[in-house]
Amino acid sequence: MELFFMTLTTGIMVGGIYALVALGWVLIYKCSGALNLAMGEMTLIGAYVSLSFYSMGVPFLLALLFSLVIGFALGVLTERIFLDRLIGEPVLTVIMVTVGLSFFFKGTVEFLWGTDTRVFDPPVFSIEPIRIGPLVIGQVYLWSFVAAIILLCVFVCFFKYTRWGLAMQATADDEMAALSVGVSARYVYAAAWAIAFMAAGVGGTLLGNINGLNISVGYLGLLVLPAVVLGGLNSIPGAIVGGIIIGILQNFCGAYLDRYFPGGVKEIAPFAFMAVFLLFKPYGLWGWERIERV
Amino acid sequence: MSTTFLPCGVYHQNYAQEHGWWQTRFIKAKMILLFVVLFVGIPFGADSYWLSVYNQVGYTILGALGVQLLIGFCGQVTLGHAAFLAVGAYTSTLLILEFPWPQLLIKWGLAYPLSIIIAAVMSGICSVLFGLPSARVKGFYLILTTMAAQFIIVDFIITQYVSQIGGRGQAFSLPPGTIKVGPWVIDNDLKVYYMMIVLVILCVTIVVNLLRSRAGRAWVAIRDNDISAEVMGINVVKYKLLAFFVAGFIGGIAGAFWISNLAAISPEHFPWFWSLWLVGVILIGGVGSIHGTIFGSIFMVVVMELLQLGIMPLADTYPKLLMDFLFIKEAAFGLAICAFMIFEPYGLAYRWGQIKNYFNLWPFSY
Repeated sequence: MELFFMTLTTGIMVGGIYALVALGWVLIYKCSGALNLAMGEMTLIGAYVSLSFYSMGVPFLLALLFSLVIGFALGVLTERIFLDRLIGEPVLTVIMVTVGLSFFFKGTVEFLWGTDTRVFDPPVFSIEPIRIGPLVIGQVYLWSFVAAIILLCVFVCFFKYTRWGLAMQATADDEMAALSVGVSARYVYAAAWAIAFMAAGVGGTLLGNINGLNISVGYLGLLVLPAVVLGGLNSIPGAIVGGIIIGILQNFCGAYLDRYFPGGVKEIAPFAFMAVFLLFKPYGLWGWERIERV
Repeated sequence: MSTTFLPCGVYHQNYAQEHGWWQTRFIKAKMILLFVVLFVGIPFGADSYWLSVYNQVGYTILGALGVQLLIGFCGQVTLGHAAFLAVGAYTSTLLILEFPWPQLLIKWGLAYPLSIIIAAVMSGICSVLFGLPSARVKGFYLILTTMAAQFIIVDFIITQYVSQIGGRGQAFSLPPGTIKVGPWVIDNDLKVYYMMIVLVILCVTIVVNLLRSRAGRAWVAIRDNDISAEVMGINVVKYKLLAFFVAGFIGGIAGAFWISNLAAISPEHFPWFWSLWLVGVILIGGVGSIHGTIFGSIFMVVVMELLQLGIMPLADTYPKLLMDFLFIKEAAFGLAICAFMIFEPYGLAYRWGQIKNYFNLWPFSY
């Protein structure tokens, strides 16, 4: 029973981070209708940037802030250089540009930072676990979860209550109508990429804190794809719920199935689950069902 | 896409001419010249380094052909094709190493050719299995299920289980002399080259002929609009799964062929990177064109080799450049895809068609 609750809490906490990354992903999808396959590499870039600042002696929070700023700049830049010209092109084109971007980012990261695992040294969060009743939670998980939740709240409030957020929602809903009432789609796209980059960067930093940072953290960034699909591609609450479900599922598979199928059950379980899930609910939990006509 | 026009003054007079492979005498001469170059010129003109580069090109063509069929002709975006290459390679290897072949077949050198066919069927079946969701989902959701194929097959089943068979650890090595086609033992680049060129011609012929058949027209209809295809009476699910089967089949051939060059395989030969690379190849070559597959493969492999050659002289001053060349290659590939998508979205094949049209229509090009 103890194992059950331990797994559950760890799952929820990791799931919070996935939700944060998934948020950025849904945002890009909602605004531009494109699948961003460079998400994993975007988490990597943010994580490496904050790691570099941190190892230079900058305090962690400040390093995180710097990575947010750089993420913002890179997001805007990426959108301006690569994606701005593609407004109105077929969606496959945009997806493939993000594939190209993912290669470009990955190559650059490997070139600049190497492929060895690097850790945040000295550790940002103390190793001493926190006990709440019978539960033992690593501080890394707890604080990451808290940070993820805070950022999630900030982003959701941003969408609900600010002018920019409303403009983004409007563009997502109906690009033509938004344009005709004076919302600039180009700025909205740029903002979507910037926010996605920032969210991915924070998510990557938190994930890197847990197990050290190497290229495979980018793979963890890809794990948000099942999360997003589970929630439905264009639903922000769906992304959050999906992220947490995937986190829990992953940890449960790691805890209970690993002894029957030794090896990487933990890594592939979300994908396997997603492939089966899509057979029964092709649009995820809260995705928009598209009604098609000839 | 561009249509290639016939030169001035060439007209068809019956259906047989219109369906002909090589429609004018000039094209026929060109193709015969191409065959001579492929079978005689290149093998005797190239040193073993360039031969291995050409083999790489051939492998990329075989791999990308299935992707082209799925994405370019059937509209089913797949990002997990390396998994089916891996299934082919592993099936063939395991058959050669573990299967108790009758002595007669080994003596005649039929074990490897037979294993290629079995491997191809096997990966065709795997491909259909992961194509099943395409009956219900499409677009992004399908991309994700094909990604699942990559992670489940390569990162889980093959890495954790298949590569443990026989207690060999991660890498299977094929002892010399086991890969034998008829009386020839495939042991140097030249023989691999000949096998490659035969397989490539065979597979391209199969795919092109399939595209001229009922199945091919059904695929194109599904690609263009699957709902109207269904309205027209095409069994959409059947033809989608058929496309997945054929793509997997050719992927299996590619994988089983490549073990003859590698002599040892491990799951690292089939990463997700390779799936994306194959998609990138057809995008650069041109989606929806068999020429595009070939041009894209040649471009990607040869240009990357040239990049490496270009970097060589700088190696003394900047040793990091050569050391991390793999990463530079990756980044350059990414940029190439982006640039092609932005500036040349129809790929190299489109440009090629335009060049041909320029000459065909000259001097009345309006």
